[in-house]
Amino acid sequence: MSEASPPQNPPQGSSRPLSRRGIERLDLMLLCAEALDLNGGEAMVWLSEEMGCTDVLPNRVELWKRRCANPLRRTTRRGQLQPAEADALIRILNALADRLYPMLRSLLSSAEPPAITAQRWGLFRGRLEELLRERFNLRRGAIQRLLDAQEGPALHRELIQALALSAGPGGFDRLKASLLDAAH
Amino acid sequence: MKLSTRYEQTSCRLVLDGLPDLSAGQASGTLGILTGFTLALAGRTELEGRREHLQALISAVLPYARHLLSGQSRPFGRDDEPVAIHPDPPGHRLELRSSQPDTPPLVLSLDDAELADLVRALDQLRLDSRVAVPFTWASPQPLRRRELRRSVPLRRRLAAPIAGIGALLVAGALVALIPPTPRGAPLGKPAGSAAAPAIPAR
Repeated sequence: MSEASPPQNPPQGSSRPLSRRGIERLDLMLLCAEALDLNGGEAMVWLSEEMGCTDVLPNRVELWKRRCANPLRRTTRRGQLQPAEADALIRILNALADRLYPMLRSLLSSAEPPAITAQRWGLFRGRLEELLRERFNLRRGAIQRLLDAQEGPALHRELIQALALSAGPGGFDRLKASLLDAAH
Repeated sequence: MKLSTRYEQTSCRLVLDGLPDLSAGQASGTLGILTGFTLALAGRTELEGRREHLQALISAVLPYARHLLSGQSRPFGRDDEPVAIHPDPPGHRLELRSSQPDTPPLVLSLDDAELADLVRALDQLRLDSRVAVPFTWASPQPLRRRELRRSVPLRRRLAAPIAGIGALLVAGALVALIPPTPRGAPLGKPAGSAAAPAIPAR
């Protein structure tokens, strides 16, 4: 265990670009935030301006282009995300997860009435599947698994749990370290 | 001067009591010496402890959450430590061990929402500039390949290479079935007509 006190030690290799898997996961988590919040796309632009990320992501088109580095998308762009661009997207996701935390919590809680929880999950899954069909390459195995009636629900829950653990003051470093994991 | 700092989430309330360490030159509003803490998890007995218990809680819960974020649930906290956390599908099992001999550990079952609340409360504590208690924690790091348990079943991982090798073998077998064209025979003419003159004699 390393001795650490604020400000925190950045994750090792934090200046290296995200792997292909890291980009896929980051974009999928952003998509989940959009599925939870109908104005999620607008919120990303607003948060980017609010957090001073406009030098890296000056407008919504540039934000969109960075997200299209995800190879699972229907329209994908070649090339890696630069570390500063990935940091800006992770910071936006961390802030979005914080805003959506009450909703994430209610999806994960076992104390909520089961009928209401099922209804919330139904709404989230419906919206996520709609966004996946609209923007992603449906021939990719990862997308087919997310849309699969058997495998999908467990994967959706993993994504929501990951969003909940990425929220809050320590969420940025935790999420960034996770996105920099070695490839499986 | 007694100080108290409080971190609240929906299902979790963490309260630290202590004093400023004036000998270390700390401001009167800085909690530098922890005299005790209480942790209240919704619907359960309020827990009390000292600094080493809070340190053990931080050392077990935060790495557990870090691994969970990468889809790797594994236990944290050794048998000789006051706090341990284990995956207990569909939730998590927090074990708090007493220093008194022959006292069974207190086991708390947490769901995903309660775990997230506890993690947020601990994050707030460790990043709070008003608290100068020297807690230690592992800063989040990327997991190495050997730390990542395979989440994709072996059958699915082997499916693509086996399908590729199979396709190659089938293609090879089909190519082998094609009869070889005799060497030197002109294309589109029967082999027997090769000796016939190209221009008939008049």
